[in-house]
Amino acid sequence: MSGVIKGLGRFLSNYWGVIAILVLWEAWVNISGLNAIVLPSPASVFLDLASAPGLYAANAAQTFIVALLGLILGLAGGIILALVAWASRLLNGLLTPLGLIFSCVPVVALIPIIARLLGYDMRTEIAIVAIAAFFPTFVFVGAGLRALPPGSDDLFRVFGASRTQRFLRLVLPAAVPNLMIALRLTAPEAILAAILAELLMGKSGLGFMFREASGRFAMERAFGTSIIATITAVICFGLVMAAERRVAARWQ
Amino acid sequence: MTARSDGLQRFLLGLVGIGLFLGMWQVIGVYRLAGLTWPPLTDVLVFVADPSKRTLFARAITASFIAVVTGYGIGVIAGIALAMLGRVATVLKPGLDRLIAVIHAIPLVALAPLFMVAANRDSTPASIAALGVFYMIYVATTSGLNAASAAHRDVFTALGASPVTRFLRLELPAALPDIVSGMKLAIPVAFIGAIVGEWFGASRGLGLLMVSAMQNFQIPLLWSAVLIVTASSLALFGLMSLVERLTYGRYQ
Repeated sequence: MSGVIKGLGRFLSNYWGVIAILVLWEAWVNISGLNAIVLPSPASVFLDLASAPGLYAANAAQTFIVALLGLILGLAGGIILALVAWASRLLNGLLTPLGLIFSCVPVVALIPIIARLLGYDMRTEIAIVAIAAFFPTFVFVGAGLRALPPGSDDLFRVFGASRTQRFLRLVLPAAVPNLMIALRLTAPEAILAAILAELLMGKSGLGFMFREASGRFAMERAFGTSIIATITAVICFGLVMAAERRVAARWQ
Repeated sequence: MTARSDGLQRFLLGLVGIGLFLGMWQVIGVYRLAGLTWPPLTDVLVFVADPSKRTLFARAITASFIAVVTGYGIGVIAGIALAMLGRVATVLKPGLDRLIAVIHAIPLVALAPLFMVAANRDSTPASIAALGVFYMIYVATTSGLNAASAAHRDVFTALGASPVTRFLRLELPAALPDIVSGMKLAIPVAFIGAIVGEWFGASRGLGLLMVSAMQNFQIPLLWSAVLIVTASSLALFGLMSLVERLTYGRYQ
C-alpha cells in the first residue's frame, strides 16, 4: 500500500507539469465553449491517425529523408569549409566572422528566398536543411580544430610528428566532440526546416500535410500531423543523442 | 601588444570578409549570375528606402515586432519565474523538467494548430515565439542558479543568512551571466517563432509579406522583407552580446 502511494507520489512529482497542461486545456475548452469542429477531441485525432496510417507514414518518411540528406550535406559542407579555414590563416580571418553572423541569422527567414532561387523542388528542401546545418557546423568544428588540449601540440612536435600526422592524429580527433555538439544543435532545426520548406512549397511531406489540412480546416488531420511530426523529431533527436553518447564514450 | 595587433588584424580581415560577401551579392545581382530572382544589394536597399513603400513596411514591421517583443517578454519572464520556482520549491523541479523536455521535443510548427484554435490566428506568432524563448531562458536560468559555488553558499549559511537573502544576494547575481547569455540566444528564436506563426495565417507581418512576395514573384519585396528580419535580429543579437559582455565583466 505504501509502495503504491510512493509510486503515485513519484509519478505526480515527475508529471505534474504535463498533467496540469492537459487539465488547463480541458478546462479552457469547456469554459470558452469551443465546439468539436474547431478543437478535435483526442479520440477523433487518433481515429484519423488509424484511418490513414500509410499516408502519415509515407509523408513522415519523406520529411525524415529530406532532413537527413540535408543534415548530411550541411555537416559535410561545414566540416570541409572549417578544414579549409583551418589550413589558411587568410581564409580563416575572412570566413569565420561571416560564419558567426550567418549562424545567428534566423534561418527560416531565408527559406522563401532559397525557394525562389532554386525553384519549388525537393532538392530545394534538402538545400534549405543543408544551409540551416551548414553554418553552426562550420563555427563549432572550426572552434574545435583550434581548441587542442594544452601542450598536446608541443608534445607532437617534440616527437617529430609531421604536419600531416599532427593533423590526422591530433587536430581532427580534437574536433569530433564539437562536431557532435553541432549535430545536437542542428538536428532539431533540420526537422523544423524540412517541415517549413514543405509547408511553403512542397507537394508532399509533413509540412505539406499541415498546410493542406489547416487550409480546409481538417483539424483532426492537422493535430494528427502534429503528433507524427513530434514523433519524427523525437526519433531524430534520439538517434543524435545515441550517436553523441557513443562518440563521447570513445573519445573520453 | 602582439595580442592586440593580432585582434586588430582579425577584426580587419573579418570586415574584409563581410565586404567581399556584400560585393559578391551585388555582382551576382548586377550580372544576373543567379537568374532573375537574385537582385543586386543596392536595388534591395533602394526598395526598402522607397517612400511609397513606407506604409507597407511600417504595417508589417509593427505587427511582427509586437509579436516578437510580446513573445520574447512573456518567454523571458515565464522562463525565469519557473526556473526560480523549481529552485525554491524543489518538490516541483522533476515535474517542471519533464514538462520542459516534452515542450522541447515538439517542433514549434507542430504546435501551430493548437495555437490556431486555442488563441486566434493573430496571436499565434507571439505564442510560438514565447514558447521557444521560454525553453531557452528556463534552461539558461536553471543552469545559472547552480553556478554559485558550494563554498560561497556555505559562507552565507554560516554567517546566518536566510535562504531568501542567500538567493537574492548570492544565487541570483551568480546566475545573471547565464541568464543574459540565454536572452542573447533567444533573440533569433523569437524571430523564428514570430515568422513561423505568421505563416499559419496571421493577417499581417513580415513573415506574411515574405510568403506572398515569394508566391507572386515580387523579388525586391521578398528580399527586402528578409533583409529587414535578418538585420533586426542580428542588430538585437549584437546588442545583447554587448550586454552579455558587460554582465560577465561585472558579475564574474
